[in-house]
Amino acid sequence: MDIQQSLLEMIRQADRSGANALLDAWAGKHGHERLLAEVLEPTLLLIGEAWRSSESFTLAQAYVASKVAEDALLRIAEQRKADEVQTRRKGPVVIGNIQEDFHSLGRRMLGIFLSADGWMVHDLGNDVPAAEFVDKAVEVGARVIGASAMMLTTARNIRLLREEIDRRGLTGKIQLAVGGAVFLVCPGLDKEVGGDGTARTAIEAIGLFDRLWQESVGKEGGP
Amino acid sequence: MNGTERIMGTLAGTPLDRRAFIPVLSLYGARLTGCPLERYYSDPAAYAQGQMAVNKEFGPDLLLGPFAFALIGAAFGSQITFSSVQPPNIRKPAVASLEEWDRLVLPDPDTNPYLLYFRESVRLMAAGLQGSVPVGACLPAPIDIPALVMGMEGWLDMVLFDRSGAQRVLEKVNPFFVRIANSLFAAGAMVAVLPCAFASPAVLMREPVEALMRPALKQALEQLDGPSVLHHTGAPLLEHLDILVGLPSAIGFALSYQEGLDKARRVAGPDPVLFSGPHGPGLAEQDAGQVEQVCREILEERGREKDRHFILVTTGADVPLDTPPENIHAMRKALIAIGWNVSADV
Repeated sequence: MDIQQSLLEMIRQADRSGANALLDAWAGKHGHERLLAEVLEPTLLLIGEAWRSSESFTLAQAYVASKVAEDALLRIAEQRKADEVQTRRKGPVVIGNIQEDFHSLGRRMLGIFLSADGWMVHDLGNDVPAAEFVDKAVEVGARVIGASAMMLTTARNIRLLREEIDRRGLTGKIQLAVGGAVFLVCPGLDKEVGGDGTARTAIEAIGLFDRLWQESVGKEGGP
Repeated sequence: MNGTERIMGTLAGTPLDRRAFIPVLSLYGARLTGCPLERYYSDPAAYAQGQMAVNKEFGPDLLLGPFAFALIGAAFGSQITFSSVQPPNIRKPAVASLEEWDRLVLPDPDTNPYLLYFRESVRLMAAGLQGSVPVGACLPAPIDIPALVMGMEGWLDMVLFDRSGAQRVLEKVNPFFVRIANSLFAAGAMVAVLPCAFASPAVLMREPVEALMRPALKQALEQLDGPSVLHHTGAPLLEHLDILVGLPSAIGFALSYQEGLDKARRVAGPDPVLFSGPHGPGLAEQDAGQVEQVCREILEERGREKDRHFILVTTGADVPLDTPPENIHAMRKALIAIGWNVSADV
């Protein structure tokens, strides 16, 4: 069994310490600098596929994956100089739970998975007003905002964010990714609230952010 | 027949004039009385008045006590926030570590204002209904209460990575759960409706549900003074249903019809009541005809036509405030159109 399959199996078993030991051993042999691209990112893709296609993959296992990724990122950061730690290959992006939504778990997992994929993530936390999302995106130069909501009532507040983006003339330049449990049970809700795209899982959202970033670049031109 | 007779008849498996139905309209009462939600979720008289309005408008066969679990978290010290469109939410959990759990003084159902709100609401409803329609008390299952006190992430983390700590927390929570649930039975509740997110296969793997959650549930449920219904919370339940079957006091299970009610019946056995129907939070997104069609499909085309122990409900969380009343009436319309169309030989 290769390292990615072994890691996936340990995450399935919620064996965080075993997964960390496996990654440490691999990094000791091949170097921490290769860990992200050669082990973590491909394993997250495998997990994303399992999560999407298998009803037996649980929130708990996805949470374990996020903690293993977070542990690995911390160890990678310890191995690098401070300036290198700040270097991210993608982004920046802004994420947060929309106004009146306080269900943070999915958003926090998204932040960890995006970071593990090399994105510079600005996480604004819970209960974020529409203007604050856009202010931050403009300030840091983000092309994608990720808005999370768990309930139908709070998901509808994402419309305010859509309106704010449009009102400031940023339509297309700033893409709006929407997600959360309610989007799984209400097909079409992503369009209804003005999202430019959604993903079924936090890991699948990595691909969504890639796509939306490219659409923003294609719309406006630029890096 | 009245609601109490239909619910009792469903439990006994005897013929009814029509099937019982229970839309989750805890929140919706505020719309009918025009009550601001902060008052609705803090004043038992306002809540009970809203439920009386629900009874008058829709005639459900059971009315629900407050479905507002953030208030349970608030009783433990979590900070909450009120909304104009949904029940209150936890803003900041009370506890961040096992050490804080150990120091935590459990709230007293006899004196804590948040807990008294639940009890007084149920008492007023039961007094007003005088037995014609039963009252169901909504409470988080003891396995979910820690998430309201330390946050979903904190509880999930402890369950996964500190099993003995999670065990300790459940041992602390269980006596509290038993006390408040029994106080609601004493206030007039006929049944306790207990969402169990931490039993869902979408949330946890099988092993911790079997090894940690089921024993905790068993210990709590065997001390209840009344029956309980284990509820899916809006998440899948079927793949773990076998773990929950046979728990003391559990007379039924609420789950999504999309999981497969025939399989649910095979797993649950012949006697427990199954509760299912259209997805409550999605009711506002459909029209009345669609709601009626879904109800008829569930009742006529998915094997329920022979099932005497089945009650039509809305699944998941509350029916949203902006749901047109005709969508809720559509459930009743479907039931009346079908009548008691249950094979006599079953």
